[in-house]
Formats: sequence, C-alpha cells, structure tokens
Amino acid sequence: MDHHRSGRLSCLLATGTLLFATAACGGSTASGGGQGPAGRTSGDLVVAVATEPSTLDPQLVNDRSSRIVTDNVFETLLVRDGSAQIQPKLADSYERVDDTTWRFVLHPGVTFHDGSPLDADAVVFSIERIIDPEFDTQRTSYTEGIAGAKKVDDRTVDILTDGKNPVLPAEMTSIPMVSPASAQQQSFGHEVVVGTGPYTFKSWQRGREIQLERHDGYWAEKPSIPAFTVRVVPDAQTALSALQAGEVDLVFDLFPEQSALAPQVKEVQASDFSYVAFNTYKKELSDPRVRRAMNLAVDKESLAKTIYQGHASPNQAQHLAKGMLGFSPGLAPFPYDPEQAKRLLAEAGYPDGFDLELHVPIGRYSKGEESADFVAAALDAVGVHTKVVKHDWNDYRTLGRVKGTEQDAFDLKYGWNSNEWFDAARIKSHITCEGASSKFCNKSVDQLVDAGANTFDQADRQRDYEQMWATLHDDPYSIYLLQQHYIFGTSKRLVWDPRPDDAYFVSTMKLTS
Amino acid sequence: MTSTQQAAPAPAAAPGPAPRTRRSRTRSSLGRLVLSRLRDAVIVQFLVVVTIFVIGFYVGDPVTAFAPPDATEEQLAQLRHSLGLDQPFWVQFARYLENLIQLDVGTSVWQQRPAMDAVWEVIGNTVLLAVLGAIAAAIFGVVGGVLAGTRPGSLTDRVINLIAVVSLSVASFWIGLLLIIIFAVRLDLVPTSGLYEWRSLILPVATLGFIHGGRICQVTRSVVLDEMSKPYVLVARSRGLPWRRLVARHILRNVAATVLTTAGWEFARMFGGSIYPIEVVFAWPGLGPLMTTAAHRHDFAIVEAAVLITGALVILVNLVVDVASHLLDRRLRPQ
Repeated sequence: MDHHRSGRLSCLLATGTLLFATAACGGSTASGGGQGPAGRTSGDLVVAVATEPSTLDPQLVNDRSSRIVTDNVFETLLVRDGSAQIQPKLADSYERVDDTTWRFVLHPGVTFHDGSPLDADAVVFSIERIIDPEFDTQRTSYTEGIAGAKKVDDRTVDILTDGKNPVLPAEMTSIPMVSPASAQQQSFGHEVVVGTGPYTFKSWQRGREIQLERHDGYWAEKPSIPAFTVRVVPDAQTALSALQAGEVDLVFDLFPEQSALAPQVKEVQASDFSYVAFNTYKKELSDPRVRRAMNLAVDKESLAKTIYQGHASPNQAQHLAKGMLGFSPGLAPFPYDPEQAKRLLAEAGYPDGFDLELHVPIGRYSKGEESADFVAAALDAVGVHTKVVKHDWNDYRTLGRVKGTEQDAFDLKYGWNSNEWFDAARIKSHITCEGASSKFCNKSVDQLVDAGANTFDQADRQRDYEQMWATLHDDPYSIYLLQQHYIFGTSKRLVWDPRPDDAYFVSTMKLTS
Repeated sequence: MTSTQQAAPAPAAAPGPAPRTRRSRTRSSLGRLVLSRLRDAVIVQFLVVVTIFVIGFYVGDPVTAFAPPDATEEQLAQLRHSLGLDQPFWVQFARYLENLIQLDVGTSVWQQRPAMDAVWEVIGNTVLLAVLGAIAAAIFGVVGGVLAGTRPGSLTDRVINLIAVVSLSVASFWIGLLLIIIFAVRLDLVPTSGLYEWRSLILPVATLGFIHGGRICQVTRSVVLDEMSKPYVLVARSRGLPWRRLVARHILRNVAATVLTTAGWEFARMFGGSIYPIEVVFAWPGLGPLMTTAAHRHDFAIVEAAVLITGALVILVNLVVDVASHLLDRRLRPQ
C-alpha cells in the first residue's frame, strides 16, 4: 500500500513542475504516434488570418481576411493581372457606348456553383444589389459613380454611370458577381457563398477556420491546389510560430521585425501611401510655407529604414507610384532639410514654432503609431511642438470627418491612402474643397480634379493629374511619407507572387512537396 | 495503525452526538448555508445586470451607430423612438429584464444573429480550458506547496518558491508565447495553436496551470508549514507514523479547505480575465477571441452577453467552493 502511494506521489512529482509535464506529454505522443501535429504535411494550403471575416458576402466587405475567401469563390467582370493591368475575366470584352454607358459582353457558358447561369440578369442583379444604399457595402470605392445596369441580351449588359466615369473598368475589377438565387435566399449575410470562382465554400467553424475546396465544374483552367483552409490566429507572434512550425503556409501582414524569422518572405510595393494630412483651415497651417517646411522636416528615408526596416520606400510626393494613371515622374520626394524648414517657418512668422496635435488610430496601420511618433519627433526638432494623440479606429474615423473649420477638427492626421483604382482620381475626397475627408481647398486643384474626371482621353487625364500633383507640391495638403509594402510570411513550399492590388488568388499559387 | 490514527486526531474528528441526529442537523445547517449563499449569488448577479444596463444606458448612443452618417436630427429622433430609446430609464430597464429572463440580450451587429448564440457556441471551450487549467494549477500548487512546506529552508523549498514567484510576476501571454516557441517550434512536439486535436490542449493548459499555480503553491506552503508546527504532528511523528502517511492522511486533509478555497478563487479569477489573453495567444476558439473581436467591432451585445455569462460563472464557482470547503472543514460550518 505504501509502495503504491509512493508511486502515485512520485508520479505527481514528475508531472508537478509544468515544464516537465509538457515535455513528458509531448515526448510520449511524438514517439508513439509518429505523425506531425495538426494541419501539417497535408497537400492543402493553410492561410492564417488575424481576424475572422464578419461575413463571406463578397459585396459587403473588403478586408484582407475576407478577401482571401471571397476572391477565390467569386469573380468579377474584369480583373487585374500581376502587374495591375486590367484584363477580361467574366466579360470577354467591353466598350464605351456613350458618355454614361459601358457595354460588357459576357463569357459564354459560365455557371455559378449552384448551376444557375452567369447571364445578363445575374450581372444586373449583382450591380443593382451592391449600389443599393440600403445594402451598405464597404466597397463604396468601387461603386462610386455607378447608376445602374441594364440587360441588352443574355450575354450583353450595359452599365450606366452618373456622368462621365473614366475609372469604371477599374471599379469592375472589384465588384463580385453573386448568384441571384442564392443571394435572395440568404437570411444572414454570411450565407451568400455561391459564386463562379475556382473554389467553392465547404464549411465555416466560427472562431476557428473556413474551408474551401476546388470546384470541379470551374469554367476556366482549374487551379493546382485542391483545397485550402483559412485559419483564425489572432496573435501575430503565434501566427509566425505556426508558420515556423509548418502548420500554416501564408501569414498576412508580417511585422517588419518578424520578417527575418519567417521561412520565406514575400513582399510587394502596395498601392498604399502613408501621409500626415494638414488641417489647412488652422491659422498656422494655412500658410503653404509652413506645410512645405513640415515636409522638409521629416526624414522619410530614415523612417523607412528604421521603423519599417526597409520594407517601405519614400513616395515621390504623391499618392501614386510608377505605372498608375496620373503619376508624375518629374516630382521628387521633399529632401530632408531641417535647416531650410526652420528658415521657412521663420519666414512665415513662426521662428519659435507652435503647438499641434497629431492623431493616429491604434492598431490599424502597420507601425502607424510608431510612424506618428517619428513624425512628431521630427517636427519637434524644427520647433513645431507636436503631441501624438491615439484613438481607436471608430473614434478616429468619426473625428477625422469633422470639417476643418470646426473646433474639434484634427490638426494633423496620420493615415494610409489606398489607391484601389491605380488612378489619381481616387484621391479626390482628400484634396477637393468639398471632399469628405478633406481639410484643404485650392481652386486650381479642384479644377484639375474635375478636368481629369470629365474626360475619357487618358493622355489628357495624365496631363491634368501631373499638373495637380505639381500644384500639391507647392501647396501641400499633407506630409508625404512612404509607399507602404505588404509583407507576407510563407512556408518554403509555397510558390506565389503577391500582387499590388490586395487580391489573393489561390489559383495563382502552387505548393511544392 | 489504529494507535497512530488515534494519536493524530484531526480537528474534524471531534466526538459528537449519535450519528443520526448529527447528520440531520448537518443537513439542515448545510441547507441554510446553501440557501444564504444562493441568495447572495442572486443579489450579486442582479448587481452585475444593473451595472451592465447602466453602462449601456449612459455610455454611447446606439442610434449613431445604426444611422447613416448624414442622418438628420429628426431621423435620429425617429429611430430612437422606434427602438424605444426615448423611454424613461425604468421603463427601459423593465423591458431589458424581461428580455434577459428569456436570455435575450439582443442581436450581434457583427455576426447578425442573437448574441447569446455566439457566446453559447464558444463557452464550452473556455470552460474546458479553465477546468483543465485549474486542475493543472492545483497539481502544480499542491505538489509544490507540500514539497516546499514540509522542507522549509531546503534547496527544494527555495527553488519552488522561486518558480512560484516567477509564475506570479510574469505576463501570462509571454509565458504562452515562450512555451509555443520552445515546445511547438523548436522541439516540434505539440501544435502551436488552435483546437484541432487533444494535443492542442497541452500548451494552453500548461500556461494556465503555471500562471495560477503560483499562488496556490504559496498558500499551500504556508498552511502546511503552519500545520507542521502543531502538536499532533510532533506526537504522530514521535509515535512512528510513516512520514508520507502523515502528510497524505492528516496534514493534507487539514489544509484541504484552505487550498480548495484558493484554487476556487484562482478558477474564478480565470473567468475574471486571465484566461482570455491566453486564449488569444493560443488561437483558442473561446470567449477571449470572441470578446476582443466583438469589442473591436463595437458589438456591445456580444460583450454584454459574455460579461453576463462569465459573471454568473464566477458567482457559481464561488458558491460551489464555499459549499465544498464547508463540507471539507466542519470548523467553518455555521453553528
């Protein structure tokens, strides 16, 4: 009896100390089972996302963790290729009929996963659904200026616009086509899961994972990966560990400092441009010399090198990069010149500087808070005493819309401008006198924006926007910071080139064994 | 054997009246205890409900979240009226209680379904983790505490004390990340995260056990030490009672109530907050990730449902611990 008890006691001793307990349990199973832990060594792709999608309705949401699902289940009339050029997808061709009508001819024989055809009715349904204000889509940047859709015949659809809309083809790369039958049945948003894409929805375990599998009846070339899983891993460090342990193949939004630890890093220059916007209605900031001085005060190179560890690059004083419409190759980033900044401030009547608040959202942008601190320190150094104020995202968004002339308006606002259109027209709301997020007003900028929006001649538009950027260089609406990069951690076996347009097509990925 | 048992009378074994009467009296006093604790529990739960309601009533205007940003003041007023938000406090509170009795705290704006459904779906995972974590903590705490308390001043004592202090001082998520890096990445023994097989339990349970075992360990050590100085221990040892039996039969029994109370408190403390960051770190599909996501998405209904349920859980655990410790230690029973 004593012997028995002592055996039990020593067994407790052995398991008592936790580290030993863990080692013991793990060790015994590893030698016993001979199989790797969950999710490993399968032929399927596993993607880790930090937040679970709120719905899989592709027309409602647009965040990265839902796009990895919806981009593969649903398709659009047009699509961007790897170098962001617009190509046909569900539409074989398109043309502009008149100023407010674009005609799309659909690819024949495409069906949704529920067997219903992708015809003109389905396209009209999808367009009318997403532009309905009651529907409240987050993809508003793709529905701007679309008035409706009209069936011409089974394979031909006219899309109607409010006035001239030169970016309509760009918008058509991000309006997913949904099966009318399935969309009308839905009781909750997340049940709309029937598209035409290469993968079909299989299951969704809330808080855990979403599973998708290859659609056997896919109308175009079938992808090589038979199935994939989107796994919810809220903590960034855990996601990196899961990547290192081989449990997942792809992790979004790696922190710059994590990139050295990932088995493989993929990076792409995104169409996201960070900035610090001015409230030009504030007395001190109404003087363009002050705003130029503040542009000169910030060392963009150093910001990219230190905080982003090289995973970002200074932008050429415009929210566009080479290859996008309206990009002005002649403009250079403001040099880092604190002495000149001080001189300009003195010239403008502020030799002793003044006080400002810089507002930044928490946890929204990769290294956003750190960047704001960096900018504040740089402005401090030339005498503009800047206090960083952090907000949660919803407060930041609400307060950020307060008009510049009002009391509570942000003096300075850190943000990223995502140019989903790859076109200068996208910046309109930030710089026009009436723009929703604008605290800036310059009549000649307004005229150039209008001119660019009201012609279909791309050469004219290019010229107007180049001139617009030149004006915005002398009379800056913001401190131009960086062109941000997307950093992805991947397993060694994943072959994939990330895209600048934030689309995630599993059909373009391959797994080597 | 019989002689040693007599030589070490536990305080519990006081001679009493005839068994029959004693048992019936016990039952009624225990019944009274349970009733009074239940009454307290109901009062506390009611206070939780009132607090949540008051916060919801005064903080934030739900209408501004529903309404389009360009809604006029008249439209907002109309919306408020249609939702009953223009009613006086007591009317709204009565309606709130009425819904609550049917376990209805509203619809989640994020998941587009009753918020309670979302909470019920994951709460089992959280309770499972908490129960196993509490067991791990109790094992770590009791074994460590007894080892240290019976060997005061020894190297074992000092090492165990150090571990206990570490467990109380370091951040829980940091320990979790450390365990992931060591046992899942470097040694490749267990999965890093998620809940896909039984081995997924090992690291989160170990983390919880480590974080919560420290205090149990310290308390156990001090009550064991205290007990060791009592005369009956000296007598028992001088009579030649084997050391292990003395510890197992007498010392442990006499410290059980204290240890159980501490363990119960630690268990309740998990629901009070400590388990949630661990769940987030281990991508555990429980209340932690659900509540943080809900808070990020300004989904008050889910947060409210989760707080109500976890509040009830804490109260329930306290009730059970109270009753259990009274059963274990008759000194605590009301006369």
